[in-house]
Amino acid sequence: MRGKRRGLRFVLGALAVVGLLISGYLTWVHYAGVAPVCVGGSGGCETVQASSYATILGVPVAVLGLVGYSGLLLAALLRGEAGVYLGLLVALVGTLFSAYLTYLELFVIHAICEWCVASAALMVGALICSAFEAWRLARAP
Amino acid sequence: MSARRKSPSSQQSALLRSPRILLALIVAVAILVAALMVVLSQLGSAGGSSASSEDVGKLYSGIPQNGTTLGKSTAPVTIYLYEDFQCPVCAQFSRKTFPEVVDRSVRGGEVKVVSEPLTFIGSDSVPAARAALAAGEQDRYWPYAQLLFENQGEENSGYVTDEFLKSQAENTPGLDVGEWSSDLKGSSITKQLQAAQSKAQSAGVNATPTLIFSGPGGQTKLVGLYDYEQISQAIAQVE
Repeated sequence: MRGKRRGLRFVLGALAVVGLLISGYLTWVHYAGVAPVCVGGSGGCETVQASSYATILGVPVAVLGLVGYSGLLLAALLRGEAGVYLGLLVALVGTLFSAYLTYLELFVIHAICEWCVASAALMVGALICSAFEAWRLARAP
Repeated sequence: MSARRKSPSSQQSALLRSPRILLALIVAVAILVAALMVVLSQLGSAGGSSASSEDVGKLYSGIPQNGTTLGKSTAPVTIYLYEDFQCPVCAQFSRKTFPEVVDRSVRGGEVKVVSEPLTFIGSDSVPAARAALAAGEQDRYWPYAQLLFENQGEENSGYVTDEFLKSQAENTPGLDVGEWSSDLKGSSITKQLQAAQSKAQSAGVNATPTLIFSGPGGQTKLVGLYDYEQISQAIAQVE
């Protein structure tokens, strides 16, 4: 049981590190004023990054990603219940907000950024890990 | 032994120690935080940049427009702005930097800006540039161009349809849509478009946005996204 829990925390930590790399890259792209490299050569990432939805109150969405993935990494490193609860909170906020961003890409901006899609998938993965851990915690006697 | 009653505070902490209650609280807090972020994102987008026809009207009010030229013809410095209406960085420039350039340098008569619409990104760039040039026939090029940037879609996705262009025309203050529609098919637009492409070629422009500053002090060039301070330094260099 303890081994499984450690395994889940390891997966959560790995997802957080990949997420930090993606959001770190997009943060750098934002402040350097350069176009993000888009998989497949489409201009979707540039369009999304240049849209008015790329910042919230002047804070780039990529920076919010950095904060979120740092929270997930901390949750993976924390032992005990605190880590489980923190992981669930961050992953749930991240997944809900990623769903909103994906809606914007599909129906408002009409452009898809592969980096954002990858981040949304990571958040869903993190939510599955955290929810599973939380479910085990709730079932524990 | 007398039975002890739990105090209200110890009952509360017992509740919070229950994983199920805590999980329900976490879910509620997460939904609230995410909803707040969505609201802030929507507010920022509505207030920040989606220019309405009123906004574009305000930005250019009182500034002379002549075809693709914005500003007084006597302005000592000219900025040749090479842009593609499908280029996201050009849209960012139009949204973030250009209004400040207009207010602080063009309005006072220090600078005039000449737009050179390029079509190198792809098929959607051509009708977009033609439509802006047709608005230029009525000296409404700049507000139309701004609306094109504000409503930009993904490169070459086919978003530049006739309906899309007409809707921007309808939102351009002071534009006669019927006249614009007939100008759109004219050979004068084709010539202007070709002239901009050859001008870019001879000036060695191969990326957008490219700004060429020309004045009594000489010429200088900036390629990419710059803020107003950097633009104003380039203006001072050629003044």
